[in-house]
Amino acid sequence: MKYQDKLIEMKGIITQVTDGSVSIDFKGRLGSMIVPMRMIITDYELKPGMEIGMVMSFPEVLSEEIDEKYIKNKKAKLERCE
Amino acid sequence: MSISIEHIEELKKEFAVVCCRAEAGTIISASNLEDPAIFEELEDSGLLKMPADCLKIEEVLGAKLIKTIDSLTPMTPDMFESINKSDELSEPNEKAVLKYNKKAGDIIKAEDLENPMNFEKLEDSNLIKLNERVLNREEVLGKELIMDAVALTPVTGPMLKGYVEKECNEVKPDKKQSVKSSVLKIKIAEGKGIDIEIPLNIAGSFDNEYECAGEKFNADTIDAFEVNEITTNTTIQEPKKLRSLTKKYYSIKEVKFGEKTKIENGILFIREDICDDAKKGIDLVKDIKIEIITPDKYNTYSETIMDVQPIATKEKEGKIGTGVTRVLDGVVVIVTGTDENGVQIGEFGSSEGILEENIMWNRPGAPDKGEIFIKTQVTIAAGTNMERPGPYAAHKATDYITQEIRDVLKDIDDSSFEKTEEFVQYRRRGKKKIVIVKEIMGQGAMHDNLILPVEPVGVLGGKPNVDLGNVPVMLSPLEVLDGGIHALTCIGPASKECSRHYWREPLVIEAMNDEDVDLCGVLFVGSPQINSEKTYVSERLGMTVEALDVDGAIVTTEGFGNNHIDFASHIEQIGMRGIEVVGMSFCGVQGALVVGNKYMKHMVDNNKSEEGIENEVLSCNTLCKEDAIRALTMIKSALNNDEIKVPEKKWNPSIKESNLNIIEKDSGKIIDRVLNETSIPLSDKRKNKKK
Repeated sequence: MKYQDKLIEMKGIITQVTDGSVSIDFKGRLGSMIVPMRMIITDYELKPGMEIGMVMSFPEVLSEEIDEKYIKNKKAKLERCE
Repeated sequence: MSISIEHIEELKKEFAVVCCRAEAGTIISASNLEDPAIFEELEDSGLLKMPADCLKIEEVLGAKLIKTIDSLTPMTPDMFESINKSDELSEPNEKAVLKYNKKAGDIIKAEDLENPMNFEKLEDSNLIKLNERVLNREEVLGKELIMDAVALTPVTGPMLKGYVEKECNEVKPDKKQSVKSSVLKIKIAEGKGIDIEIPLNIAGSFDNEYECAGEKFNADTIDAFEVNEITTNTTIQEPKKLRSLTKKYYSIKEVKFGEKTKIENGILFIREDICDDAKKGIDLVKDIKIEIITPDKYNTYSETIMDVQPIATKEKEGKIGTGVTRVLDGVVVIVTGTDENGVQIGEFGSSEGILEENIMWNRPGAPDKGEIFIKTQVTIAAGTNMERPGPYAAHKATDYITQEIRDVLKDIDDSSFEKTEEFVQYRRRGKKKIVIVKEIMGQGAMHDNLILPVEPVGVLGGKPNVDLGNVPVMLSPLEVLDGGIHALTCIGPASKECSRHYWREPLVIEAMNDEDVDLCGVLFVGSPQINSEKTYVSERLGMTVEALDVDGAIVTTEGFGNNHIDFASHIEQIGMRGIEVVGMSFCGVQGALVVGNKYMKHMVDNNKSEEGIENEVLSCNTLCKEDAIRALTMIKSALNNDEIKVPEKKWNPSIKESNLNIIEKDSGKIIDRVLNETSIPLSDKRKNKKK
């Protein structure tokens, strides 16, 4: 990765809390993510509307290659559903 | 990041560097100072260069800056109006208590002594006992120790070189008297029928030579003594058998669907319409399908594997952890599931795919190559895949099927079992007593485990650790190996411990069979979500371990995330009580610990992946026999006060290999290394990478 030490402080809002996951919207309409409960560190009981902070860099595309395993699994899943 | 007020006392001898820009006129406090733990890294990357006259933290605390300095600037005397003179020895007339482990030959310095302000607390918790024999701080400064002493040992005269007993009104000890408030450690490498008795509760002190029970010991041969405990039992006893567990194996060669569930001539028949009944009574379960995967179908697609479970049942309504367990060999149950919208249960990015590309064969928690899988695919109500009842329902529906197999397994004729395996739990009094602490997930939903179901890895009767408040629950090693834990854990495929992992837990097996240690039990503790709950649980763990009076503890956790916060806290709670502790976790590169403390010095990394990452291959980075051997050797070394080297700053997989080599050389036994993801068929992704 070329830009991995370009760290940016990000803020976000918890939008949904389930028994197993937390959904977060980044402030400034910069995206969203869902993480498992065990990946979020908190001193307080989690509630929608709480603010979170983290340090991130930019997602950087590693190469032009396509992960064939992913494509293959996606196809297999579709076939299975049909 | 600045250092916290709690840690300032421990760090006051470290160099002072500002963590962020500080204006002229600032009075320096903990919040202005950078954590010394990262100095080496900063120096390596050229961001920091320590000048020769850099001040210590204790010298700058409360001092006023006279110039504005940028972040990461080391502080020097020219930046301050005045600095605190480093106080060489405060409170010289207070008692001298060692703060750290010291070795014979070490010179006692001011910073080696515990701060007297902590004495009251330490005495309250019986960690130290101060009496008139303990010397004052000024008396011990600069003196040389003649024996090893552990942290929190009050310093007495006989521990120091050239110490001459002051004239006092105490009577010189009688030769037959032993040592008051001391421990006599006797190390016998080999022997038979040795019976040593030592009289206790008699006042006295060490002379050069003393006599006990007719044996003569020279004081020079005694390698350590601690004033805060008395060992009352040095008699080496025969191991005491507590209980045993027999597993009887019935080999299954084929699994088929049939009219009714039965086992005949090595063939397991599963009732064709069993799924209709399995979903009855569980509203959340909308559909359930069973697939029988034989080795020739290992290359087929599967949803994410939630759990791998053995099929076993207790004979004659026996209790888990004792008696006889009947086991089907060559077949396992695999739980998979999605919700009605096709979303995986507990989906955070998918790891579904071709089975043989996603399974690390023969790991304790994974299927063995060649086994037949009874794979359920449970569909639960839309949107419930992340709610607590969702994953539980999938496990419950699967268990209905397993239970029907268990019921027929109970009726098989006893003569049909080809193989038996006996596990015996011994207590080995007189050996180093250890406890295994297993931290399990308890954040909710699939981060949960059922403790002690009625049947091995069953559902009925099991109590979720989340409902138990995640507090420590003690299991016997045999309860663990008899399916006492049903794991709902669902994410982190490479590091999660499936139910089968506990059924074949290598650390429990190795520790139980190790004749050098006395394993007293396996303590399970959940990892709650919120930090305050983590502290609550961790403090209870500390108290429990204290009450167990163990010499050492091995703490393990699965995977990484906020569970590393309680993992560190558990180690601290145990370590601060003077108990040696070894920590085991998957760390590698991706799972590096987020917090640390001074007790986290003996660590074993469970990583096996090439790159040190969560590689989505089931069970790849879980605890294996080779890790268990390393952890046990490490705890034994720590208990013997052998030196354990400080780890390198960056993850280096060769440390593991060199440790295994040392153990092999020392024990003369060859340790089989487990394979990693490079041994399974290359997925196209990895093929492309290799090109």
